[in-house]
Amino acid sequence: MTTYSLPLSKRKRAVKTRPPRDALFIAAACALGLIVLVAVAAAVIPFAGDPARIVGPRLSPPSAAYPFGTDALGRSVLARLLEGTRTTLVLSTLAVVCTAVISVILGLVAGYAGGWAREVIMRLSDVLYSFPSIVLAILIAAVVGPGQAAVLSSIVLVTVPLMTRMVSAAAMSVAKRDFVTTAKISGVSAPVILFRHLLPNVSGTIAVQGTYALSVGILVEGGLSFLGYGVQPPRSSLGLLIQEGGSYMLQAPWLLFAPAAVLVVAILSINLIGDTMRDRLDPRETRSLV
Amino acid sequence: MLINQRTRSRAAAGAAIALSLACVLTSCAAPGSAPGGTEQTEAAPGFLAVADEALTGTGALTVQLDYDTSEADGLDPQTAQTDTSWMIMGLVYETLVTTDENFEIQPKLATSWEQPDDTTYVFTIDTTATFSNGRALTVDDVVGSLERQVASMSVWSGQMGPVESIEATGDDQVTVKLGSPYAPFLAALANTPAAILPMEEVNDGSVDLTTTMLGTGPYLVADHRQDESWTFTANPDWHGGDNLAVQTLELQIVDQESTRQAALREGSTGMAKFVNIDSLSQLGGNEGLQIVKQTQSDLYYVLVNSQKPDSPLNDQDVRFAINTAIDRQAIADIVFAGETTPTGITPSNLPGACRVDELPSEQAAIEDARATIEETGAGDVELDLIVDTSNPVMAQIAQLVQQQLAEIGVTVRIEQVDTAIYIERVFSAQPGDFDLSISWFAGYSDPSMVTKWWNPEQAFFNVGFTGVHEDLNALIAEGASETDPDARAEVLTELCASADEYAEMVPLVHRPSIIGFDTTAVSPTIQSNEGYGNILRNIADYRIAG
Repeated sequence: MTTYSLPLSKRKRAVKTRPPRDALFIAAACALGLIVLVAVAAAVIPFAGDPARIVGPRLSPPSAAYPFGTDALGRSVLARLLEGTRTTLVLSTLAVVCTAVISVILGLVAGYAGGWAREVIMRLSDVLYSFPSIVLAILIAAVVGPGQAAVLSSIVLVTVPLMTRMVSAAAMSVAKRDFVTTAKISGVSAPVILFRHLLPNVSGTIAVQGTYALSVGILVEGGLSFLGYGVQPPRSSLGLLIQEGGSYMLQAPWLLFAPAAVLVVAILSINLIGDTMRDRLDPRETRSLV
Repeated sequence: MLINQRTRSRAAAGAAIALSLACVLTSCAAPGSAPGGTEQTEAAPGFLAVADEALTGTGALTVQLDYDTSEADGLDPQTAQTDTSWMIMGLVYETLVTTDENFEIQPKLATSWEQPDDTTYVFTIDTTATFSNGRALTVDDVVGSLERQVASMSVWSGQMGPVESIEATGDDQVTVKLGSPYAPFLAALANTPAAILPMEEVNDGSVDLTTTMLGTGPYLVADHRQDESWTFTANPDWHGGDNLAVQTLELQIVDQESTRQAALREGSTGMAKFVNIDSLSQLGGNEGLQIVKQTQSDLYYVLVNSQKPDSPLNDQDVRFAINTAIDRQAIADIVFAGETTPTGITPSNLPGACRVDELPSEQAAIEDARATIEETGAGDVELDLIVDTSNPVMAQIAQLVQQQLAEIGVTVRIEQVDTAIYIERVFSAQPGDFDLSISWFAGYSDPSMVTKWWNPEQAFFNVGFTGVHEDLNALIAEGASETDPDARAEVLTELCASADEYAEMVPLVHRPSIIGFDTTAVSPTIQSNEGYGNILRNIADYRIAG
């Protein structure tokens, strides 16, 4: 039997050529942090002005007076972009928190109880999962009516099935471990087992799924607002700004460029953060060249 | 599963990046055009474009429109309610008279007419006209069509005025007697709902007008897919002549303005209609395209619901305060880039129309409006302003109105809803399920026609949000019956003021039509002024290169 390993010098070189995961993670975290910081700061200190106020001539290109230009009604694109980013992030985050709460309860129950409870929860998830996310979101918005409630409920219903599945799978695996069996034999109640013993052991899965749900939430919000079912004017969101900017793609590209760039950076950052977290929490997925 | 999920997340991110970058790169790479207003010159007095008679070719033309006919009664022209329906049905059906580039009445199926007195009209009918099934038009078709319209009790029957009798008084002569003088009678006859129908076939049941279009016009329907497209072919027996250059006309329904722009730019349509005024400058720099702004007598207006129980808008003073706060000129300047003008309830570009600057709301002080809102407590209630998502201009107007009303302490929440919900909440629900809304009226070619819509007993569609006011109704009737131009102008001024004070439907600005066409695909004739939203009014004159 022969074994083969790279010479030490080559191994060092190989290690050096590994994808700079940490660097990407830090860059993504910084970019997302910056977006959140600026958007939140603008709410506290309105340095960009009132997003609903007409400040100058319509469709003015970016200039010192209007750093991101003005829109078709003469409002500051910068002020509307900051408000829109804030709206999108707040709505998506709120929705993901709701998703996490619902999915954790359903997933833990399905994973721990098994049997008919698991069947019912999983089949309901399958039904919701079978709908394309934007179609499901439009359906919900049509029932609830356009606005923030529609966005929130749409994101929740779109993201709940996947997170429930993942939490259930993780919980089922943990539920077979000895310490859970011991707790059962000792007469510990089911809620205590679920939330004291299972929950901490699936928290990594929840965190990773949360990041994915956040990026899906941003996309769903963008899609709904783009179609007119989401945030209502004059309040802005990234989707609404992209929808408005689309009409002026040739005449005033700055209307489309700014929200599109923020949307791209935000989703990319969140996905990179999610990927990195997943790699750290699940060593089976960790890649190595040696 | 985990790998699939990672792939999904990366795919989502990738898709977002690709979409956004594609949009951004497209916008950066495409030729831009300077924002702001545009200047246009007429090709001939009263015409934005005149077909080149030197072109002798024939062929197909594609025109993209923003919406399709959608009446509950299908394709019956007498119940058609929107300008698009009038235009589409007007390709197949013809009326006794039509309007020209100066809003003047001109002959069509009636080759001439006489008016022996104020209440009698004697029309000479073009008996060379035939329906597309080959049967010749008769005076019985004319009499039957007009009687059917008058008896229909539809929205349009009220526009026909006090018709007493319609009789055939010769082989080619029809006489209409009115109970009293009615100035807009000919203008009402010029619209498609007054079209001449194949009454013999209608009466014997061989033609169902709700599903079949059979007229004397220049085109025949070859195919129709609701909300998608219409295909028309030239009527070989059309009495207007056999030199129709556009032998096949396809109307495509494309609701997105930017999609219509792209189609015109890349040549997949020869002509398109736009509602966003910026289409003028967005398309203006493109080689081979000509973009024109057609002045319409149509007008945008704010609906102020006075019929909703326990609403502050039940109070006329509150409604007038809201009317006072609305700055029509600012809407014209900001939303329409100065390309349109404010108007009262009589379209300001029609003869005898009232002056906007003389309206009571234009002369009232904004401080008084603010005080009224404060005294009545109307500012304590948030008002819903609902708009239809199908017309992006309405959302822009709504946002400006919202800001203007904030100036007097009125809080407004904008809600965008799709067309079906909009119609249900605004026009079907009784009382209307809204506080404020934005809509528009066709302006026609006589000022008394649109003013009829301020009388809910004749308009029907607004009983859910406007009250009945006898004094206002009397002025509407007087404006229509007065035939002396000076006296009529005085009545119309009084009528404008009265409607302005009731403030249940507040006129804003004229609604221009932006028409773009590919000069290599078609050489059209387009009038500078239009009152019935018919951008294809002169299609029989269009020319195509050989």
